[in-house]
Amino acid sequence: MSDIRLSKIRKDYGIFTAVADVDLHVVNGEFLTILGPSGSGKTTLLALIAGLSGPTGGQMHIGSQDVTYTPPQGRNIGLVFQSYALFPHMTVAENVAFPLEVRKWSRSKKDEAVGRVLQMMQLGALSSRKPSQLSGGQQQRVALARAIVFQPNILLLDEPLGALDKKLREELQVELKQLQRRLGITTLLVTHDQEEALSMGDRVMILNEGKVQQIATPEIAYLQPANRFVAEFLGTANIVSVSDGSSRKGILRPERLLLRTSAGTNKGVATVVSDLVYLGQTVRYYLSAADGTSFIAVRPFVGPKFALGSAVNVSWTEEDVWPID
Amino acid sequence: MTPNYAVRTVAIVTLGFLILPVIIVIPMSFSSASSMSFPPPGLSLRWYSSFFGSSVWVSATITSAVLALISSTLGLLLGSMASYGLCRRRIMQRGIIESNFMAPMILPTIITAVALYIAFAKIGLLGTLIGLVMAHTILLVPYVMVVMNVAFRSFDLRQEQVSWTMGASWYTTMRRVVLPQLGPNLFAAWVFAFVHSFDEVVVTSFIAGTYNTVPKQMFSELILEISPTITAVATLLIAFTVASLAGATLIMKRSVQTV
Repeated sequence: MSDIRLSKIRKDYGIFTAVADVDLHVVNGEFLTILGPSGSGKTTLLALIAGLSGPTGGQMHIGSQDVTYTPPQGRNIGLVFQSYALFPHMTVAENVAFPLEVRKWSRSKKDEAVGRVLQMMQLGALSSRKPSQLSGGQQQRVALARAIVFQPNILLLDEPLGALDKKLREELQVELKQLQRRLGITTLLVTHDQEEALSMGDRVMILNEGKVQQIATPEIAYLQPANRFVAEFLGTANIVSVSDGSSRKGILRPERLLLRTSAGTNKGVATVVSDLVYLGQTVRYYLSAADGTSFIAVRPFVGPKFALGSAVNVSWTEEDVWPID
Repeated sequence: MTPNYAVRTVAIVTLGFLILPVIIVIPMSFSSASSMSFPPPGLSLRWYSSFFGSSVWVSATITSAVLALISSTLGLLLGSMASYGLCRRRIMQRGIIESNFMAPMILPTIITAVALYIAFAKIGLLGTLIGLVMAHTILLVPYVMVVMNVAFRSFDLRQEQVSWTMGASWYTTMRRVVLPQLGPNLFAAWVFAFVHSFDEVVVTSFIAGTYNTVPKQMFSELILEISPTITAVATLLIAFTVASLAGATLIMKRSVQTV
């Protein structure tokens, strides 16, 4: 178990900068999610921490060890890829035993550790199968078992659930989070899925074009985004003027908007429902004002509803507006 | 005639044109006549017994086999390493380096032969087994690389990366993770190389000196006299080549199905 410290880590490929001067401190036992669109440098950053790629600048520590130029073999990290990268010619048990064999663990110690991890991941019955005989979810578990069996200092996960369907992904998100808590292992998870990043991380790091946009708890990142990019990447954001006399803009989350039928009030902005989408538990309203501004509001399915084309007044409390730019 | 028929006819005629001269040798080798004639007047195995009874042919076969065995193994080793390096590392001017390795396959063989003749003459390797092995290895490397480039490029780099992060050295990763999965490709590359070495005549003629290989012996015999023994040799070579390549193809196919 270790913390991870990056200071001014960068990676340039010629004139292209994939990762630009990233400062990061992941504390011992923390679950940090790294979120960004494709090409944001999040996978490159993970490869740098894994030692699969060397930085062109900066320093990196795992625990007290300076690992800036340490090869991957010397970092004691567990790694899971989206494609799992299981060894197809080995059985489940052989895959999981591989890191222990490399470390020259004794036979009894090895068998005991493999047995324990397989049982913990509910893979005991599958231990003599080949990866090609497993479902996607089972393969994912084997990859995870193989990454934790040798008690690494940190766990790196590169879109580990990206290849699974939505329902299974949500189940495994919960499982993975529980496992991480139980092991208390410092974990970095790379994802492009904002819901996954927010639901799994103790903190979220948002990257864009190789630069850190914000590192914060999911709640802070969602409600108090550091800039417009974060605001819009972490869900829908209504942009409104801040009423402090300045020309600053602020963001408002769609669930913060209050809607009333225009007939009963003259408070707020008069709009018309231009579209609405039923999402199950919630309804999403697209509202247009006469001056061309538009709003997106999310209301619970239970409660007052507004028909397409009906006149609705939109209002909000000033405290819910978070100033940006 | 529809275009479909036209294409089919051209294909069949071309195939016949390519394969008939090869096929015709086979019945001729079982002929009882004392000179080459087609169709054979009767069947016999006299040309096969003439081949196996001739010390010249037997020693040429042994030379060919030893030469092919050593040079295809060396070619496999060097070609695979070159292929891995070019596939995995970022190398400056890799295009130039790769063309350099492939050159012996693309250049007219006679140019390689003359170049090796001049170079070996300077360093005293003409007419030696080491010289022959070196020359054949140079010729076989590109054949190995063609097969192994495909294998390494389609091999998932992340398997190697995961292995490294789990503490396995590069060497252990090769031995435990990469090579067991590429066994069929390595075998196929080795067979192609072996067959090619067994078949090589141009470079061998230039630098072999007193060493005689099967194709070189065939060539010299054809110049002196046309003996039907040569049809027996040709038939054996055809059988050997077809069997090896079919075996390699079969193993490659089976490996694709199991993964």
